[in-house]
Amino acid sequence: MKPWLKSVLLSLALLAFGAARLPYEAGLSRDLRNARLVPPHLEIDTLDRIGQTSSAVALGGLRTLVATFLNLRAYTAFAERRWRDVAKTFDVIVDLAPHTRYYWETGSWHLAYNAAGYYLNDSKLPPLRRREAWRSYIMQGRVFLERGIRNNPDDWSLLANLGFLLADPNKFPALRDTHASFTAAAAAYQKSAATGKAPAYVRRAWFYALARVEGREAEALALARTLYAEGPKNRTPTLVMLLLVLEAHENPSLDVARRAVELFGTPEKAYAALAGHWQRTRERFPVFGVSSALEALEKSLAIPKEQSILSQALPPPPSPDDWFRN
Amino acid sequence: MSATHSMPRGSHCGRTLVIATHTFTQLARMKVFYFMAIFAVIIIASNFLNLQQLQGPESAGANALGSIKSSSFSAMHLFSVVLSIVATALLLPKDVEDRTLYTILAKPVPRIDYLAGKLLGVLLLVLVALVLMDVLMTAMLQIRMSMILAQQTELATAAGYTPDAIASLRAETMANGPNASLQGAVLAVFLRASIMASMALLISTFSTSTLFTTIVSFVVYFIGHFQADARDFYLQMGQAGQGGFSRAVSLGVALVLPDFQLFNVIDAVIEGQAMPLLLLGKLALVGLYYALFFIVASWFIFAEKEF
Repeated sequence: MKPWLKSVLLSLALLAFGAARLPYEAGLSRDLRNARLVPPHLEIDTLDRIGQTSSAVALGGLRTLVATFLNLRAYTAFAERRWRDVAKTFDVIVDLAPHTRYYWETGSWHLAYNAAGYYLNDSKLPPLRRREAWRSYIMQGRVFLERGIRNNPDDWSLLANLGFLLADPNKFPALRDTHASFTAAAAAYQKSAATGKAPAYVRRAWFYALARVEGREAEALALARTLYAEGPKNRTPTLVMLLLVLEAHENPSLDVARRAVELFGTPEKAYAALAGHWQRTRERFPVFGVSSALEALEKSLAIPKEQSILSQALPPPPSPDDWFRN
Repeated sequence: MSATHSMPRGSHCGRTLVIATHTFTQLARMKVFYFMAIFAVIIIASNFLNLQQLQGPESAGANALGSIKSSSFSAMHLFSVVLSIVATALLLPKDVEDRTLYTILAKPVPRIDYLAGKLLGVLLLVLVALVLMDVLMTAMLQIRMSMILAQQTELATAAGYTPDAIASLRAETMANGPNASLQGAVLAVFLRASIMASMALLISTFSTSTLFTTIVSFVVYFIGHFQADARDFYLQMGQAGQGGFSRAVSLGVALVLPDFQLFNVIDAVIEGQAMPLLLLGKLALVGLYYALFFIVASWFIFAEKEF
């Protein structure tokens, strides 16, 4: 057979072979993408940022390797407190490995906690600048975590971490609308618990957030009763106290002091728990019926007026005005 | 009794196996297995890439298993692709240079048996190397996972986690340790290498030098990672009814080149995704389809080649 004829036949065979496999490969590619086994396409911006060599490696199917090494770069940036570089590097890392929880959690932690904490204490900047940077990094950390959740909607840990961030008293002033924050935190914890993979404390955290959402006290009380009924492992002092407070909200005529003694065992223990709760102003827990119960217990325990917890000053709420004074 | 002895020497399989064993020995004598020492160093070094940046039992060693997997798979991937291309590109020119080819073809050995034997020898070498690397990786993952589990349990107990929470924590860590999906990913690495080797064999049947075969194969390998994009572009432009020339070019790329993006499932497995057996089977079919086509095409070119 003449060489040119061979080349023509081979080319035709190659095309025919390609045409035969095309629908199969397209279907398989779709199946793999649906099963999230093939990562999404890399953005041009990401390729630009990782450089030509790393792009070639990433496109050659070694994305997680590039992500591993970029994580080392991010760590150096973190150690040197180059926060913008930390943010940019983690943006690239999560593009390369969007289903690795560790990168989402570490990235958001660096932004919302480390970078924000750094600006809280950095005395080289004017207070207004520090305050803005502090708030901005907390918001960036939140947005980063929410992006992680959109990419991994079934990941209990990312959802729980969003809950922790939104329910963190040190972040309230940055988040501004605490009602919306507690609502979002409760929703995040609820979704985390609904995955069925979250540890038991996530359900309690869900309740703690829900108890602080104004207007949803009945829902919170129902959850508290469920958790309480599940046994001693859920009966943490905070949960028991919030159960009492929510019961007082549901039934304003409840003898809160008597119920507190029932729940905590002795009048002394009940008083100590109620006093502790009264002083926990930072977390913004509800205090329905607490002052009247304290008064009643102080009377029955013969606590002098000058030693009354109610006459002591309450710890001030977290205030950025104080944090960024100098 | 060896596999080659149990097979009648006059049969296609017998001849192919003899050539394959000879090729395997020939390549093994080139000291390719020295790579295993480098691989062991890579695996040990990857243990130190764990940067614990978060607090709490959940994050103890969170990234260590991922680092070991990503480094190991990268080494397997590079080794298998480079070996399958270079070794295959080297085979025909070396046989011509050593005059072994003339001795073989002077005997009643069909050329398809010769080509299949050569390819099988390369694939056997890649398979043995991958199995050894897999064993090393799995052992290292197992050891490291046990250490992480012990550390997590200790931290979780100290933090007052309930037995249920500790069990859930352990289950998550174990999902990132050695598992069946990881073995499936190793198979995907082998399948990609098989396609590369069979394609390099086809190129080497009409190429004039080892260097040419190697360069062209690597180029095809890299462009093959964009084949899926070309195919998607062709299909989408078809729906939009636009771009005649661009469509033709993208169709050409989609028809001629293999789709290597399919084998990027490895990344997802490293990230802890499970690989369904059905999808692995479908991938294996793709690999087999390419290997068979390329070997038949190689024979078509090689059958009447004069030496």
